[in-house]
Amino acid sequence: MNIKSVLESLMFAWGEPLSINEISKILNMPAHSITFTLDEMISEFNDDEDRGLIIQKFGDSYQLTTKKDNYEYIQNLLETTVNKSLSTAAMETLSIIAYKQPVTKVEIERIRGVKCSQVVKGLIDKGLIKEVGRLDKPGRPVIFATTDEFLRHFGLSSIGELPNIGDIQDDKGTGELSS
Amino acid sequence: MNYSVNINVFQGPFELLFHLIEKKEIDIYDIPISEITDQYLEYLEEMMQFNMNVASEFIFMAATLIEIKSQLLLPKKEKEEDPRQELVAKLLEYKMFKDVSEELKKYEDESSFYFSKPREEMALTSDTNTEQISLNEINVYELYNVYLTLIKKQNFKIEQEEKFKLYRENYRVKDCMEDIAKKIRKYGKVSLFNTFKEKESISKEYIVTLFLAILELSNNKGMKIYQDNIFGDIIITSQERK
Repeated sequence: MNIKSVLESLMFAWGEPLSINEISKILNMPAHSITFTLDEMISEFNDDEDRGLIIQKFGDSYQLTTKKDNYEYIQNLLETTVNKSLSTAAMETLSIIAYKQPVTKVEIERIRGVKCSQVVKGLIDKGLIKEVGRLDKPGRPVIFATTDEFLRHFGLSSIGELPNIGDIQDDKGTGELSS
Repeated sequence: MNYSVNINVFQGPFELLFHLIEKKEIDIYDIPISEITDQYLEYLEEMMQFNMNVASEFIFMAATLIEIKSQLLLPKKEKEEDPRQELVAKLLEYKMFKDVSEELKKYEDESSFYFSKPREEMALTSDTNTEQISLNEINVYELYNVYLTLIKKQNFKIEQEEKFKLYRENYRVKDCMEDIAKKIRKYGKVSLFNTFKEKESISKEYIVTLFLAILELSNNKGMKIYQDNIFGDIIITSQERK
């Protein structure tokens, strides 16, 4: 079995981000050796200028995507579709969840100063956030966290790659703040 | 009065307050509450004039502003906190996430330059695979499709019916339901194909009536309808199988 060849085929057929656990189960190989091989493949793909595909890492998942350099040509080929970017309300809510996760809806509403039920539901439907349990407090409120789809949507390989709040604040000149 | 265009853009009271503060180039740590309150209320009035639904959050913020304003008018005791402090802290926290969300937006835009393709679907061709369809998943169209298959594949003779003549109905849904129920009681399960084959020639009316009967039965929670493979026979049985 040529492991790299198999991995490439798997990622092509799956299309969406494919998790290490899934691959590990299929190939009956330990996760760490697959991770090692995939990380090797990432640099091989990305360094090869003749290739039109790259491998991207989102959390514990890997996905074949096209190269950014080729965007213009792909755009000419494809029909234009509706802009799939998120609304301001959705973006604000998502930011709070991303940085404060796991977080309750009440906390999100306290920060935004508006009701968020609809927005939260919308984000769940889009697969960007999910319920991750309940808080051990009166009323046992549901707590929310971001998903791997969130990472993919924003092109992040892990939550740790989120922009640093301090840096953003410095850029905007809003001054020193604690989170 | 041309700022009304912007009004519905505000996501909530915090965003509106920030807009006012930025417009007046006010120091956020020393907000002139009296001035800001007046302006805030002016906006609310504008919103109401345009018959917009002013959300309760906006009203609540107005009340908070007025409360702070009145507190500031009272003589200050020593060690007492600045009544504006809590509001400012909230405003700053909101602003922080607003900035972050704008930054994240850039990430979103950036990731839209990469294309991927949807997952492949593997067609299920093997008929050894037993597929059980639960009652909830069965709908009229599936039953209709089976009806079509029956007519095509099993080569049932369908009597030619004369046009524009009304007949008394020969079969009744109720009777068919009872028939099926009786068979289930007797044999434990009923095969749809066999039920059709029982008659030498069957009319469209009978087929339709039988299907209606099955649909009626499917409402009955005790019944289970399943199919071993696609386009295969439909088995009706009672839920509690031994």
